[in-house]
Amino acid sequence: MGYIPSKVMQETFSQSQALAILTQAAAQEVKALAEELLPLLEQHAPLEVTQNRTGLVMLPYRDTVHGTLFHLGEVLIAEAQVRQNNLLGYGMVLGRDLEQALAVALLDLAFQAGIGLERLNRFLEAAQSEQTHVHNQLFAKVDATRVQMETF
Amino acid sequence: MAYVAARGGEQAILEAENLYRELLGTLSLERVKIIEETMPYLIDRVMGEASIYAPELAALAIAQTGGELYESVLLLRAYRSTQPRLAYAAPLEQDDLKTVRRVSAAFKDIPGGQVLGPTLDYSHRVLRMEVLRGETVTHQTKAAPQASPSSFPALAAWQRQAGLLPEIQADQTVPSEIPDVTREPLLFPVSRAHKLQSLARGDTGGILALGYANMRGYGAVHPTINEVRLAYAEVLLTHPSTGVQFSAGQVRVSSSEIVTNFAGNPQDPRLELGFSATLGWNEVKTIAASMLDLSMERSGHPSQTPEFVLYHTEPVEASGFCIHFKLPHYVTFQSSLEAMRDVKGKGHREKVKEESAVALEEAML
Repeated sequence: MGYIPSKVMQETFSQSQALAILTQAAAQEVKALAEELLPLLEQHAPLEVTQNRTGLVMLPYRDTVHGTLFHLGEVLIAEAQVRQNNLLGYGMVLGRDLEQALAVALLDLAFQAGIGLERLNRFLEAAQSEQTHVHNQLFAKVDATRVQMETF
Repeated sequence: MAYVAARGGEQAILEAENLYRELLGTLSLERVKIIEETMPYLIDRVMGEASIYAPELAALAIAQTGGELYESVLLLRAYRSTQPRLAYAAPLEQDDLKTVRRVSAAFKDIPGGQVLGPTLDYSHRVLRMEVLRGETVTHQTKAAPQASPSSFPALAAWQRQAGLLPEIQADQTVPSEIPDVTREPLLFPVSRAHKLQSLARGDTGGILALGYANMRGYGAVHPTINEVRLAYAEVLLTHPSTGVQFSAGQVRVSSSEIVTNFAGNPQDPRLELGFSATLGWNEVKTIAASMLDLSMERSGHPSQTPEFVLYHTEPVEASGFCIHFKLPHYVTFQSSLEAMRDVKGKGHREKVKEESAVALEEAML
């Protein structure tokens, strides 16, 4: 991939997109990227991990018949918060992998602070491409099960 | 009669649990991984009934109990009680689900089309004996040239647009204020939020039994499936400092709408619908539960009574109450026995007394 100025790269992904890609990327790859960017983050200012724990998220659902909201159930998640100056990096991933959540929080912090953006954006592009590929592959197979009905 | 404290059996209890676990063999990470990878529908069923989405832990619970499902659900519920609630996700909307299967038995042509998705509905129910002879069986789908759209509107929304269903006001309750049976008692008359949550975490077998009773003829509802759906749902959360909404990942969900007799009045006929959804892919549960949702709008048979249905389909309470009868009830049973002996003794004494009186009378004559 050719060089893309960081300003342009910065606009490539929104924070929402970046977090969604990171939370669904392979845990080992996210952890490796966080390890890679950690020295850059630490050079910038002291880091403080203010939260790293497992817990539950309540998942509401809207009934399609009466429009009522109800709780479908709970989802086990791992959460991390990392503070640097006035920024808060946040990570919440499904499951109970605290390191993965911490890695996402560090990368979210890097994203907000604009640290290591070029590397981060390259990762996001590759991960997004992979996730889109997996999605498209699945839904191409789903489309093969679409009923072509004839009426006699 | 006084209660008597009893002691004993500690060693037997320890060895009984050891024996259970020894007969299951070694519990290992490898075994848990195999269960997680190869039995997604079993895991979904356990997660749905435990009301917690945690595939890895569900696999562990199944491995640890040797597939004793009520014990597995209990383990997950117990684990859940150790975890803090950290947030409320944004409510799932039917249109936003990444749907892999959505079929309707009521309408042939539906917006988005009929997509069968992964299903065994049309398969020959034949055991693949060749696997036992050492052969490996794999399947490959012939993918379509392009991916299908992944979102489909709810059939109910389409029917509402066509004037077949009354308009509804979308519930605007903030997620933290939605009634929650894990934090407040299930009271009757039951709120719709409690009813749907209880059905979502209900016992698959129990819900099927009561739903089937209704379908078979104990209820007045003849069901047609408006839609049944299997999907992936994004868990949408809010960044605590920037307020940005993001997806923390996807969970498997299923939902069902049941449609029945024409309601309303002759001038303005309407359809009547029942709804249900659950964590994980579990079609039979959501179909039966949506049937119960609709039936509970009526009254008659116990399977149409919210109290009867919701209390008796709670898997942990039902199985727990059932198996608690195995525990020593020596004192209460002895008490009943004493009472029975008393009655029998009294009856015997009265009989003897009567016979003596008759004998005396005869002697006097």
